[in-house]
Amino acid sequence: MQVVIGQILNGIILGSLYGIIALGVTMTFGITGIVNFALGEFMMIGAYATWYFSDQAMLPFPVAVMLGVVLAAVAGLVADQVLFRFTRNNLVNGLLVSIGLISVMESGALLLFTTTPKSMDAVVAGSLSLGAITLPRMKVVVFLLLVAVIGLTWLGLSRAWLGRATRAYAQNPEAAMLMGVPTKLLQTGVVVYSCALAGFGGGLYASLFSLEPSLGGLFILKGVEAAILAGVGNLLGALAGGVILGVTESVGSLYLPSAFRDAYGLVFLVAILLFRPAGLFGSQR
Amino acid sequence: MKISLKGFFTGTLLAAAIPNLAFAQGIVKLGQIEAQTGPNAIYGFMSSQGVPVAVDEINRGGGFKVGDTTYKLELDALDTRGDPKEATIDLKKLLEQDKVKFVFGPFLSNVFVTIYPYAKQFNGKFLMLGGGTRIHEYVGQPGNEFLIRTWNWDAGPKGFGERMVDYLVKTAHPKKVAMLFQNDSAGKILGDTYEPMFKSRGIETMTEYFEPGTKDFSPVLAKISEFQPDYLFPGYSDAALYDIVRQSIEGNYSKKFFLVRGSTGPGLKNKDGLEDYIVYVPKDFEEAEKNDPKVKHFIEAYKAFYKRDFPYDQAPLCSSSCYDHVYMLVAAMQKAGTVDDVEKIRTTLLGMTYQGIWKISFDDHNEQVFDFDIVHLKKGGAKEVIHVEQ
Repeated sequence: MQVVIGQILNGIILGSLYGIIALGVTMTFGITGIVNFALGEFMMIGAYATWYFSDQAMLPFPVAVMLGVVLAAVAGLVADQVLFRFTRNNLVNGLLVSIGLISVMESGALLLFTTTPKSMDAVVAGSLSLGAITLPRMKVVVFLLLVAVIGLTWLGLSRAWLGRATRAYAQNPEAAMLMGVPTKLLQTGVVVYSCALAGFGGGLYASLFSLEPSLGGLFILKGVEAAILAGVGNLLGALAGGVILGVTESVGSLYLPSAFRDAYGLVFLVAILLFRPAGLFGSQR
Repeated sequence: MKISLKGFFTGTLLAAAIPNLAFAQGIVKLGQIEAQTGPNAIYGFMSSQGVPVAVDEINRGGGFKVGDTTYKLELDALDTRGDPKEATIDLKKLLEQDKVKFVFGPFLSNVFVTIYPYAKQFNGKFLMLGGGTRIHEYVGQPGNEFLIRTWNWDAGPKGFGERMVDYLVKTAHPKKVAMLFQNDSAGKILGDTYEPMFKSRGIETMTEYFEPGTKDFSPVLAKISEFQPDYLFPGYSDAALYDIVRQSIEGNYSKKFFLVRGSTGPGLKNKDGLEDYIVYVPKDFEEAEKNDPKVKHFIEAYKAFYKRDFPYDQAPLCSSSCYDHVYMLVAAMQKAGTVDDVEKIRTTLLGMTYQGIWKISFDDHNEQVFDFDIVHLKKGGAKEVIHVEQ
């Protein structure tokens, strides 16, 4: 039983990482009408930048993460101005551009960092033990930080004017424009913020797992799964979707062959979509 | 001035012939199919890095002579991205379009299994020097003369795996070993190969497989910990090993490791948390650099060619279809006196013992045999290197 509880906790922590990517996916889709599959690559930028500034340049970890976030945001701004602004509200074009961007960014990372995995020194060493349940301290820190950022994003979107404007635009672009919402700026802002979120996720990811240039491609699928599971457009649902996915994978691997770990989350997703096509928290039309 | 017609033609012919006599030059095309990018690139990367260094050195040195002709090498290194379909297209280009007779790679078993039926059609017309684990099943069989496996095999009389398990038994006396491999062709083979080795020495085993691309190993490690193994035997590339070793130590699942694929990197990174880390390393470059001039030269040549640091932890993978093999192939061509007669070159190559970065020879099944190191790390990073001559 303790092993199961341990894996539920582990799944929740891992799921919060899926959740932050899912949040970026859901926000970008709501405002720009594109599914940005390249978000995983902005996560990769954040991860490598954090590793570099922390392990190579020997800067404190929080500073390294912040620099990673800034780099991911700047890369997001460049990508938006050079590519994504020409694909607004065109799902297919946006998808194609983001897939192309994955290739370019992955190749760039390969050139810079090679395939040799980069593993960061422990930021917060040691584990927390409760009976037979052992959780690395850093995983707990990562979870708390992710929940805080996702919570603050939700608060900002529900309370601040900019957040209300964003939601208004997502619901009815024409009406929002007529009410004086700066739509172009808003779209760019959301893309950049999503990339910064992904960069933040990447920075924390670097403190837990080893890095390879392909990490973004593997992780974005989880983010998209989590967003669909929750229902695209639901911000807190994105976190819940990620957590459900993480727990399903972790506990599923205990009782079923771990060789098919990814399948357990997918089977669960398909089962949910059969009964709730708009996702767990999506509005049924 | 009168010039006779006969004299004019003689002069013209001589003028045309003399440069060819004095500077007869040719090109030998080499091909390479390795995953230079993609999730499994770690295994193709070092091979794709080492071959260009050797080609550049040979060409800058003026090429090599076979008979009266001086040849230079032309390398077409194609990136399969670890995708079997892409590898098939790459090989087709090399064999049919570029008429390449010597192909290095692949290192990935899933790639080899897919390209094998196509490659077999060209048996006798080219040589494929690859390190893939699954090549072991086909190499040395009639109809597969094109295959040469450039990696030590684990089992059998000269198997490095047998030597590794013997070392583990001798130094640690384990009763239980848990194996954790990637769920693919090579992972399954490792499981099938090592289970009997452990059992024959009275060691109980448990085998689990993980999905390619897995980063969080906590669930499978938790499952394994219930078996209470003395050693965890994970595989098979550093991409997974860094995470397995770290998470196993952090979660108190296992702190003793035995590896036959991978590097010392994951052990050194977690040196304060581990208790024991025994790993097969084709060569411990940091140690060898101090004593072996050929190793030192390779490291310097690598740095100069790529203008970046030498990847000490990945370099051991260079023992497969890499730097040494280009020189070895050239030596075989020179000894055979031909660059075109594939069968003659093959026979010469298989009969050679080449002393490069490694001492390389081939066994009766066209499988490479080379010397290697066992690196034994203890808590805190104390390192012992045991050199094993084959």
